Amino acid sequence: MNLEKVIFAFFIILALSLNFSFFIGEISRVSHHNIYELFAALVVSLICTVMKFGDRTQFGSTVLASSLVVDLLLIAAAITWGISTFSSGSITPTTMATVTSLAGGALIANLLSVILLIIETSQIRK
Amino acid sequence: MSDIFFLVLRRMRTPLIVLISVYAIATLGMTLIPGEDPSGEPWRMGFFHAFYFVSFMGTTIGFGEIPYPFTDLQRAWVLICIYTSVFAWLYGIGNVLRLLQDDTFVGAVAQRAFRLSIKRIDLPFHIICGYGETGQFIVRGLSELGIQAVIIDLHSDRLHSLELEELGVPAIVLSGDITDPENLLAAGINHPCCRGVIAVTQEDHTNLQIAVASKLINPNVPVICRSEIEDEADNMASVGTDAIINPYLIFGRRLSLLTTNPALHRIHNWFINQHSAEHINERITHEGLPAGNWIICGYGRFGKAVEHYSSDNHIKIKIIDIDLEATEAPRGSVVGRGTEADTLIEAGIESANVIVAATNDDANNLSILITAKQLNSTIVTIGRVSKESNNKLFIHANCDYIMRRSQVVANEVLTIISRPLVTKFLQYSSSLSHAATDDLITEICRLTNDSDPVTWRLLIDQQNAPAIVNFIDSQQSLTIGQVSSNAKLPAAEGIPLLLLRGSMSHLLPDPSMPLKIGDQLLFCAGRGQTLLAQRLSHNIELLDNLINQNQHHIPLLRWLQRRRQNKTPN
Repeated sequence: MNLEKVIFAFFIILALSLNFSFFIGEISRVSHHNIYELFAALVVSLICTVMKFGDRTQFGSTVLASSLVVDLLLIAAAITWGISTFSSGSITPTTMATVTSLAGGALIANLLSVILLIIETSQIRK
Repeated sequence: MSDIFFLVLRRMRTPLIVLISVYAIATLGMTLIPGEDPSGEPWRMGFFHAFYFVSFMGTTIGFGEIPYPFTDLQRAWVLICIYTSVFAWLYGIGNVLRLLQDDTFVGAVAQRAFRLSIKRIDLPFHIICGYGETGQFIVRGLSELGIQAVIIDLHSDRLHSLELEELGVPAIVLSGDITDPENLLAAGINHPCCRGVIAVTQEDHTNLQIAVASKLINPNVPVICRSEIEDEADNMASVGTDAIINPYLIFGRRLSLLTTNPALHRIHNWFINQHSAEHINERITHEGLPAGNWIICGYGRFGKAVEHYSSDNHIKIKIIDIDLEATEAPRGSVVGRGTEADTLIEAGIESANVIVAATNDDANNLSILITAKQLNSTIVTIGRVSKESNNKLFIHANCDYIMRRSQVVANEVLTIISRPLVTKFLQYSSSLSHAATDDLITEICRLTNDSDPVTWRLLIDQQNAPAIVNFIDSQQSLTIGQVSSNAKLPAAEGIPLLLLRGSMSHLLPDPSMPLKIGDQLLFCAGRGQTLLAQRLSHNIELLDNLINQNQHHIPLLRWLQRRRQNKTPN
């Protein structure tokens, strides 16, 4: 068992889970989507990105790319949420739908990272 | 590029993760801890405000408590956050600074800069392996000639001294092990502009390794090696090294020449040592070394070389060495260092004409020379300098002829590299009669006012001498005499030394010989003079004026006369 590998797998799966838990629920219903979940998903995803910095293997660079995609989408979602609260103080259902769909996109990329992780692990077995 | 980039990213992993975590926790805390608005109502900070606050707090800018003054609980949390974030930043910045000083990182940056500069070279260049005293001489000489040098040396501290040198063509430098073929490749041995590899490290074996590697990687690149041991030199020759330079043998030959034919030695000395002149007593350059009884102190490689070349010149040689058994000195040699009067007297210093201090210890050599002069004031002293910086001491000791190993090697290397015609001239010059040699010396002295001459090569082709090629093409004849001197430009006179036409060489060619396209002509002239041939090679008007006597002042008339002449060829 390699501690570094465990930590990395932990973070990459945590990113997927948090992303999913934020995403799940009716798309435009504000009460179904918790902002803390979005925050946690973003932070974990950033940490995942940094962990793959400077990795020159094929696997490492693909995971780095997909986690950069996650960062981009989640930051976009967070900014959208933040800006919409400037005037009214609370988020409208339309904006909520945008935020959720952005998080949905991030979910796909996160899923891809986990799939890559599984493929890599199975290759080592062989 | 990628090496450095990835190295930085990998080293920044932990500091970045620490920074992200600290910021995340601080922001989260700010949104969770309840505050109060001015009316006393409970209020919670949003993520936007929290991130804004943490951002300026973390960088210790501090815009104050916004949007409302904080409660005590909030302040307590901020207090913790300030110290943690400052620590995180210090840790991150410290890491970057440490990385910049890291040997791996500095090495990677230097390697990359080196590869880039090699890739960008578009001039002919030479790779110099070893930047010791010899390397320094060669690099300086190449820079004077406008030739790019690429230097590789194991000791980076030696290379630092390069930064202080004012070189016309800045050298490209790599600190690394030259016996590693990877470094030879990086230095551009396969580069189309690479003109040669010069191996001048202290160790013969290292030079051999460089020669082998170079010849295996790119057999077309010429390799010049310094060698002081016969076995290694044989080895170098067997792998196809183009020139092997042994300073002792070269100097031994010079001494022999100075004894038998001082005039020729003077010419050799001028033309080979164009970059740094040797220290030699003026009287001896004229009279040469006296034959008779010689004493050689130190029967090492230098002593043996001197003995080898001088033994057949009616010279009786007496050897002084501390260990006659180990050096296999001939019978009748004297045991001792030669620094004491006793040993010198035993070797017959009173009746000796020449003493050669050939040990590898500068202090001993100096002591030998001084003692010898005290015992016999008319003796000619020849000293060997091992360490360049001691050269001054030998001059102060009134040493008549100083042998500086690195200088001998460097001058030889530079002549081979940049003056192929000089090498040829010196080869053929031994066939000159004594009278012809003396005449040549008188000529040169007249031209240079008794100072050292320099050589210059005229190559008659479209690129190097377009005007002359044009002139010859238009069916006009141009003789060697016409390009070497003209009464109107007395300062630009040059002496033609050698004409190379195809595979034929003419030593001191006849001035009435007409030039042909493809000829190579070696001139000699005073230092700092622009030769007539050099001026004519690109200037068709000057050719017209001086050779064809077309002396109209108005360009239009000159042009008309040229046309008239061309129409009616003489």
